Amino acid sequence: MRLRRCAQGISLLVILLLVLALILDSMAILLAGSTLLFALAALALSFDNRFRQMVASLMTNRTLERTMVRKGATVRVTTQIAVQVPAHMEVKIAENLPSGLVVQDGETGTVFEAVPAAPPQRQERKVTYRVTPVVHGSMHVSGVSLTARDLFFENSIDLSSEPFRGPVLFVQPRGLFEPSSQRVTAETREIEKMSVLSGFGIRALREYYTGDDLRRIDWKLTAKHDKLFVREYSGVMSLPPLIIVDLPWRRAPHSAQDFDRMVAAVAGMAEYSVKMFQYVSVLLISGPNILQYMGEEKDLQRCMSVLREWMHPVERTVHFYRMPDRSDLRRQIRTLESRLEEARDPSSQKFFDSLKKQYLRSLQAQQIPAFTAQLIRTLSPLMADECYVFSLFFGDASHLRQLIRQAKAMKIRVHVRMPGTAGSSAGPEYQSRLGADTLEAFA
Amino acid sequence: MNLPLRLDHGFFLLMAAGILIFTVVASPSSWYLYPPLLVLLGIVLRVTRAWNDRVFYILCAGQPLVIALSAAQGWAGLFIMWMLAGIVLATLGMLVSGRDWQSYAAFCGATLVIAAGIDASNHVLLPLVIMGGLTSLFVAVQTIREYQFRKRYTGANP
Repeated sequence: MRLRRCAQGISLLVILLLVLALILDSMAILLAGSTLLFALAALALSFDNRFRQMVASLMTNRTLERTMVRKGATVRVTTQIAVQVPAHMEVKIAENLPSGLVVQDGETGTVFEAVPAAPPQRQERKVTYRVTPVVHGSMHVSGVSLTARDLFFENSIDLSSEPFRGPVLFVQPRGLFEPSSQRVTAETREIEKMSVLSGFGIRALREYYTGDDLRRIDWKLTAKHDKLFVREYSGVMSLPPLIIVDLPWRRAPHSAQDFDRMVAAVAGMAEYSVKMFQYVSVLLISGPNILQYMGEEKDLQRCMSVLREWMHPVERTVHFYRMPDRSDLRRQIRTLESRLEEARDPSSQKFFDSLKKQYLRSLQAQQIPAFTAQLIRTLSPLMADECYVFSLFFGDASHLRQLIRQAKAMKIRVHVRMPGTAGSSAGPEYQSRLGADTLEAFA
Repeated sequence: MNLPLRLDHGFFLLMAAGILIFTVVASPSSWYLYPPLLVLLGIVLRVTRAWNDRVFYILCAGQPLVIALSAAQGWAGLFIMWMLAGIVLATLGMLVSGRDWQSYAAFCGATLVIAAGIDASNHVLLPLVIMGGLTSLFVAVQTIREYQFRKRYTGANP
C-alpha cells in the first residue's frame, strides 16, 4: 500500500507534531499528533479492508476466438470483468499479457470511476482486444492487474491465481525466417499458397499429421519441441501479368513522343507475355471508363491487332476530378479528429469541427462509383498476381488510385509505368500515395 | 434520516459553540487565541472548497486550535479534534450511512481512550514510546497480512 500526496502530507504533520511534543514536552501537542496518527491508521485499515473485499469480489471470464493459431495470426480476446466497487475508490483493471503477445487494437484494461457515497455496487465491463502471438508455444494471459486508489492511499496487485488466468493459446510455429522476397524464375513465381508444384521457400511449419511426407519433417524443430513438425513449402505458379493501359483523353494535350513510347512498351510486354506464358490479358481504360478487356489471348497477331485498334487517345464519357474514396474520407475524418483534440484555439476548433462535419456529410452521400464496381467484376475472375499499369499521368489520377486499391485488395501486386518526364518529378512519396508496389518510367 | 446538505458547516458551528461554552465556563487564560484560530479554520474551509487535497489544509488549519484548547484543558482539545474529524469526514462524503456514523463514533471512543492515557501521564516520553511500539506492531501485522493476501491471489503455493 502506498501513501498518496494527501496522506503523505498528514504523515509529515503527525511526525512534526510528535517531534515538537517530545522537544517541548507538551501534552497538548502530543494529543493532537496522536489522534491524527490514529485517524491515519484507521483510514489505512479501512482502505485495506475495502481493497480486500473488492479483490475477493472480482470475477473475470476470458474467451478466445480460437485456441490454436499459427504464429503471426490475430486472435480476438474478450474478457468479462465483474467487480464490487466500493465508494470513493477509483479502480483500474488491466490484462497482464505475456511478452509473446502483441496487442493489435482495442483496450486491454478498463477504469471504474470513483462513485460518491453509496453502498458497494457490482459493476460489469467487457474488454475486447486483438492480439498477435510473435513466438510459438503454449501461452496464456497470466491474469489481471488491479489498481485501486482513494484520496489517501493506493494499492495494486497482480492477480495471477487460477480463477484469473486465461485459457491456453497454443501457437504453432511459422517459418518467419524465410526470405520475404519472392523467388522468381523465368516462367514461375513462388506464392504463399499450397499448390501441386512446390518451390524451395518454406511457407510455414506445422505439426505432423499421419500421411505427411516424412522427407518434409523439420528435425531441428522436432528435437526442440519433442514433437514432430513438418515444413510446408510455398507453391509455384506460372501466371502472366495483367496489362492495364490508361489511354489519354483526346481533348487533353499530351506528348506524342511519350505516347509512342507507351505503345511500344505495351506491345513489347504483350509479346513477351505470350511467348513466356502462352497468353496475355489486357485491360484498356481511359480515365474511369473501361473500354476493352482482352482476357487470356493466346494469338499474338490478334492481340496486336486489338492494340493497334485501340491504342490512340479516346473520348472520355465519364471524368473523375480529385475523387476521394470512402477510405480516404474516413482517414481525413480521423486526421481532423486528432487535430480537433490538439487544437486549443476556439476558432481552430470551430474550423476543424465544421470541416469534419462536411467530410461526414460527404461520406454519408458517397456511393461506390460505377468504375470501381466494373473493376471488381473484371478483376475478380482473373487469375493474376501481378499487373502492370501504363499511363501518361496527365491530369487527374483518381481513377488510377481506385484501380490500384481494388487490385491490392485482390492481392495483386501493382507496377506502375509512366513517362520519364512525369517519372522524374514523382518520388517515393507519390508512389506511396498511389499505393503501387513499384513506379518506373517506361523506356 | 434526512441529513442537512452541508454537514461540515454543522460541525464547524458545533465547534464554535463548544469553544464559546468552554471559554465562558472555564475562563482560560489563552481565550484570545481561539477566535482568530477559529476564523482561520473558517477561511481555509471557504477558500479550499474546490481543491482536491483540501482535507490536508483543513487538518493543518485545525491543529493549532486543537493544541490551543488542549493546552487549557485536554478534554476540550479532544472535543475540537472530534469536530475536526467530523468536518473532514463530511467533506469527503463519508458520513452518509448509519455505518459511517458508527465508524465515526468508534473513532471518537478510541481517541477518548488515547486522551485518557495521555491525561494520566505526566511526561510525553512514555506515551510516545507506547505509541511508537503500537504503531510498529500495527505496521508489522499489516505487512504480514499483506504478504498472505498477495500470496493467496498471485497464484503462489499455499
